[in-house]
Formats: sequence, structure tokens, C-alpha cells
Amino acid sequence: MIRYLPLVVKNAIRNRRRTALTLVSVATSLCLLGTLMALYRSFFYSETPEYQAHRLIVRNKVSLANPLRLSYLPLIRKVAGVQEATIYQFFAGSYKDDTPSESFARFAVESERLFRIFPEFRLSEEEKYAFLHERTAAIVGIKTARSLNMKLGDRVTLRGDIFPVNVDLIIRGIFQAGTADDESMYFHYDYLNESLRAGERDTVGAFIVRMDGPESANAVIKGIDDQFRNAPLQTKTETEKAFQLSFLAMLGNVKAFLLSICAAVTFTILLVTGNTMAMAVRERTREVGVLKTLGFTPGIILGLLVGEALVLSLTGGLLGMGLAALACAVLRSGPSFGADLSQLAVAPSVIAIGLGISLMIGFISSLIPAFTASRRPILESLRVNN
Amino acid sequence: MSEVVIETRNLTKEFARDEFRIAALKHASIQINKGDFVALMGPSGSGKSTLLHLIAAMDRPSNGDIRVLGEDLRSLSDGAIARWRNAHVGFIFQSFNLLPVLTALENVELPLKLTRMAKSERTAHATKALQLVGLGERLTHTPRQLSGGQEQRVAIARAIVTDPDLILADEPTGNLDAASARDVLEMLVTLNKEFGKTIVMVTHDPHSAKSASSVRYLEKGELLPPGAKPVDWDA
Repeated sequence: MIRYLPLVVKNAIRNRRRTALTLVSVATSLCLLGTLMALYRSFFYSETPEYQAHRLIVRNKVSLANPLRLSYLPLIRKVAGVQEATIYQFFAGSYKDDTPSESFARFAVESERLFRIFPEFRLSEEEKYAFLHERTAAIVGIKTARSLNMKLGDRVTLRGDIFPVNVDLIIRGIFQAGTADDESMYFHYDYLNESLRAGERDTVGAFIVRMDGPESANAVIKGIDDQFRNAPLQTKTETEKAFQLSFLAMLGNVKAFLLSICAAVTFTILLVTGNTMAMAVRERTREVGVLKTLGFTPGIILGLLVGEALVLSLTGGLLGMGLAALACAVLRSGPSFGADLSQLAVAPSVIAIGLGISLMIGFISSLIPAFTASRRPILESLRVNN
Repeated sequence: MSEVVIETRNLTKEFARDEFRIAALKHASIQINKGDFVALMGPSGSGKSTLLHLIAAMDRPSNGDIRVLGEDLRSLSDGAIARWRNAHVGFIFQSFNLLPVLTALENVELPLKLTRMAKSERTAHATKALQLVGLGERLTHTPRQLSGGQEQRVAIARAIVTDPDLILADEPTGNLDAASARDVLEMLVTLNKEFGKTIVMVTHDPHSAKSASSVRYLEKGELLPPGAKPVDWDA
């Protein structure tokens, strides 16, 4: 079939405007498809990074909105397999005008334990020391620091909403984690807790646990939840990844949503390509008759016409996957809006699926017109005036 | 005794039009020997092109027998017919029918792609065929960069590039000016006389028919006996 490739390529590009428009439509659709598949993979099938695989989140079994008691923490630390555990209190609140660009996650933690649980946080020893030794100190992720122009020594006021207090903080460190945490801020739980009225103190939204190894996850989860099975506030322990996905689930059935968009995109591009191929084949009916007169068999003609569609769809698919890689890079570097997009990439498996879909689109869209043309009697083909 | 290349007996072709069956060719029996140059003439709708298409196996007869180059064409499958045509028949159309996206060389090379020839061999053959028709300097020209006469010469090169035993031409001068038509006919005569090719040519033009060694007339789907002409045929 290789000897026919020049003919296939020349035919594929004979109508340059139509070819360009087809390529753009296939590439755009495949870019969207590739990006959605990369998101899907990143959310649901990406490998858990080493640092994340060691961590568990413990929260109230009823919902994240219901707090746990601070007194649970020493008991959690005693569970076999737990290396370290600390408070993981989401502060919410608002910063400045609370515009979307000023939105970032804020957590109150036990600062001295934070770096044992998040070893991927990188900041200088001086900054770490300053954070650990100052009650109102805070550290902020590099992305947020850059986007909001925060510098060491800056004063930041977070207005409380869940908690009826404002916290005045001083930026003492800017850390880099290479994860979604680069958009987070951490400050001392003690400072928050002591700012609250007596009856509001000593509650915690969640605890975060570092295990001795990912293989201990099931045992540690069971150990923690069993510990509080008969307590007034039961716990739900889950991996950090599952915890993040539970936020995603609040948006609805994200899996079905992503898959249905992928299916709609595929179907639409199938119709567009099908129409293009039908036109391309129809306008060459006479040439098909000539080829048959020269001795081309129906099988070869079918191969030529389908091959033409495959060349177009595969080229569009490659362009689309390239654009999807760019889109993922842009999404990775942009704000994450709570989802961890640090691993978002067009993986080889996504490229393979994307190109497979491109080829399938080319094949299905061309099969019927190509088959019809290849089987049409020679004289009938030659009578058509293109 | 000359070798018979084409032999038809009671060859009939009918077309269905709604509830009617129209006979385009009725009981045509003809024998053409190797090295003959036969012109098929007759008014429009007389069945001459139908007979040519049946000889080229571009259509299948409704009735009768047809043997071309010793092959019973009725017994061959579509794929086998295509391969047979590629190996043994060169076809020249009235409207040239070159592929517009290909150069002259690529157009001529097309039938060779169906053979086992290597690329370099195909190019050499196609170049030689184009040189033979006087277009050795136009190898890279596309059809729209050629005149009608040159296009037809490319089409002739394409028809002879596989060195077929039989050349079939359907009104090869129909779209050409007088000078180009003369060139094309001279080429056909050369192919017949010098290369021994058997040629069957459909034509309306009596001057073109003079190039042939014999002329057979058709009228209302019937092949007239040798020497007979249609009634009122004033050519």
C-alpha cells in the first residue's frame, strides 16, 4: 500500500481550503477530547505520587462540614502504622475583595508537624525557622505569592466566615511543593484556636496523617475508623487522593459529564468528517472510473479512499494532541481551583486513545462513500461529469 | 493464419430503463486478428461504444460470447477482470481523463503501480513512454499545464506503458483540433504498424477512420456486415 501513499496524500490535499478546514475541525475536536481525557486520567487514573501515597485524611463520617474533636488527635497518633498526624483545619474566609483571582486555600495546622507530613514543601531554613517561632506567621505557596504579589514580611488579613474571627498574619515563608499546594497558605492552628470564644474552640475539620508506607493504608484506615466506631462523632478516613476526588464529586457525576462530552465531540467530528469525505469521494467519481479502467481493483480503490480519510484524520489527530499538550501545560500553570492538576499531562495512553479515535473517525466516515464508489460500475462512474 | 485477438458471437447488451429493456447492442459477431487496426463507426446510439466497452470488459454482456486474447471475459470476476485489463488492455478516452493532481509522469506511471515493478523501473518505463509520444520535456507538468493535444498524448503514453496487446480508443480525436488529431492518429498508426499493436477505435470522423486498416459500421445496435454502411450514411 506504501506505493500508493503519494497518490493518497496528493488526493487528500487537492482541495486545500477544504482540507485545511477539515484539519482544523478535527484538530480542535481532538484537542478538546485530548484535554478532557487528560483531565479524566489525571482525576481518576493517575498514579498517586509518592508524597501523596503516604497521607490519609480523617474527617467526620457525616460530612466535611461537621467537625471532629481535637481530643481525637492523640488517639489517632497511637494507631499502628501512623507516623505522624496533625490538624488540618480549612479556614475558608476571604482575602481582600475575595475576587476569584484572590482566592486560595488556607489551612490552620500544627506548624512543627507540617513539614514531616508534607516533606515536599521546600523553603529555606531561615523561613522555616521564622514560621515555626512566630505565632502569627504564615507560609504561602509560590503560585499564590506570585499571582498576589505577596512578599516576605507582608501582612495579610483573612476575614473569617466559618470562623467568626479575622486572622492577621505575616508572611514568613514562601514554599514550593510542585503540587496544588503551591496555591495554599498555612498558619498556626493555635493562633486560630485561641482567637475563638471558649465554646467554639478545640474542634477540627479534619486531621491529616502520614503513614509508614502506602501498603499500610487499608490497615491504618481501618485502625482509625475502628477507634472511633462507638464514639459520638465517627470518623471517615480516606486517602488524600480520594479526599480530593470527594470535592470533585460535589460538582456532580464528573466522570459521566466528561465522558458524555467526549462522546458528543467524537460523534460531531464523525459527522463533519463523514460529510467531507462524502463530498471528496463524490467529486472524484469519474476518476474512480478511470482508475478502474486502468486496472485498479475495487479493493485497491477502497483502500485509496479510506487511506485518504485516514491521512486527514490522523494528521488532524496529531495536531489536536499537540494542542491538547499545550492546553494541559496552560492548565497546569494556571490556577487549579481546588483540583490537583499538577500531574495533568497528555500521557502516551491518552495520545494512543486520541489517535485511535482519529483513525476510527477517518475509517468510519469514509467507509460507506468509499465502498459505494469502489463498487460502482465503471461506465456509471465515467458518465458522471465532475 | 492470423491469431484471433477478439471474437464475439451474438453479443447482446440490454439496459433496463424503468419497465423497458433497451438493446444497445444486438447479436454482434466480430472477429479481429492480431495486428488489425479496426475503426468502429456509426451514428450516435448505434452501439459502437457499447461494443468497445464490452471488449474492454468495462461492462458485462447480457447475452452472447466474448473472448479477448483467449480469455472468456464472462467467466472472470471483477478483480480478475481488473488485473487482466491492466496487463493486456490500454484504453484511450475522448476526454483524456488524466488525474489532475498528478504530473504527466505520475499519470503514466499509474498503471505500473499495479505491477511488481520497483519505483526506479516504473519511472524509467513511464519516461520512455512519454518520450515516445514526444513529451519527454513535459514530465513534471500537470494536466492543466498541457494543451488538449498534449493531454491526449499523455493518455496514449499511459495506455501503452504496460506494453498491452490491445489498445482501445473511444473517440480519441473527438476533443482535439485538426493538427492534434492528426498527431494522435499518426501515433496510433505507428503503434499498429511498428509495434504490432491491435487497435480498435470508435470514431465519428471519417478522416480518422481512414487511419484504420478496416472499418466496421454499426446501426441501431446492429453490427453491419463487412463493407456495409448504414442507410443514409453520407460520410
